[in-house]
Amino acid sequence: MLNDSHQLDHAFAALADPLRRGMLARLSRGPASVSELAAPLSVSLPAVLQHLKALESSGLVASEKKGRVRTVRLQGDALAAAESWLTQRRKEWEARIDRFEDHLRNIQTEAKA
Amino acid sequence: MSDETDLHLERTLDAPRDLVWKAWTDPEHIKRWWAPRPYETPECEIELRPGGKFFTRMTGPDGFDYSGTACILEIVPGERIVWSSTMKGDYRPNEFTADGCNGFPFTAVHTFADAGEGRTRYTATVLHADQKDREAHDAMGFQDGWGTCADQMAEVARELAANA
Repeated sequence: MLNDSHQLDHAFAALADPLRRGMLARLSRGPASVSELAAPLSVSLPAVLQHLKALESSGLVASEKKGRVRTVRLQGDALAAAESWLTQRRKEWEARIDRFEDHLRNIQTEAKA
Repeated sequence: MSDETDLHLERTLDAPRDLVWKAWTDPEHIKRWWAPRPYETPECEIELRPGGKFFTRMTGPDGFDYSGTACILEIVPGERIVWSSTMKGDYRPNEFTADGCNGFPFTAVHTFADAGEGRTRYTATVLHADQKDREAHDAMGFQDGWGTCADQMAEVARELAANA
């Protein structure tokens, strides 16, 4: 999967949403039905289906309907979801150090003035 | 340190080490850089001793108001500060809710060293709980703690305002 840049764009767009990352994290522990995916989320079922559609078109997940139950499973590297958590934390700390650096610059400029 | 759970950041700062240390450990300074805009840090307390309390209160748009108390584990003035969100002052354990909205466990190690020409080599190492714990949080759909918890607080604030 993710063998062309178009698909990669889709994957990044899909990962940009916290709710979708939560769904991926759940799926990293194994396949789930749509209602199982929706259960811990405080959004409507149509909204969940909308997010699911975005995830499917990104190639990160695939779903299959048997009878009345649609089962969703992760495609490819299950680490993607877990990695995004740490990537998010890294971004927060990088940004905090950026602010720290700016602050140091400001106080030195103030001291000279 | 594990690549799967931990972060390591390094930066050479264009300021002398004593100033960098002061900016990192003086509450009046911390308030000015701790939170990302539009969030602010109106309150900060830090006791520079092992077991000391490290308290920050962050506020933001739509009634966002988050206070966290961590514990200082180690202090080497001018060189090293280690603190952990797992405890509050005097090593009393913190409790975390399953939704992650009152934070998550981590320990942070910050080091400061002279880098020549009035500059400072700064490192930050952040240790997180193992992946299973994180997935439990993630599965709740709150892994993006800030945004989601901010949204939740905004909702509560709107309800309170509507009922006032």
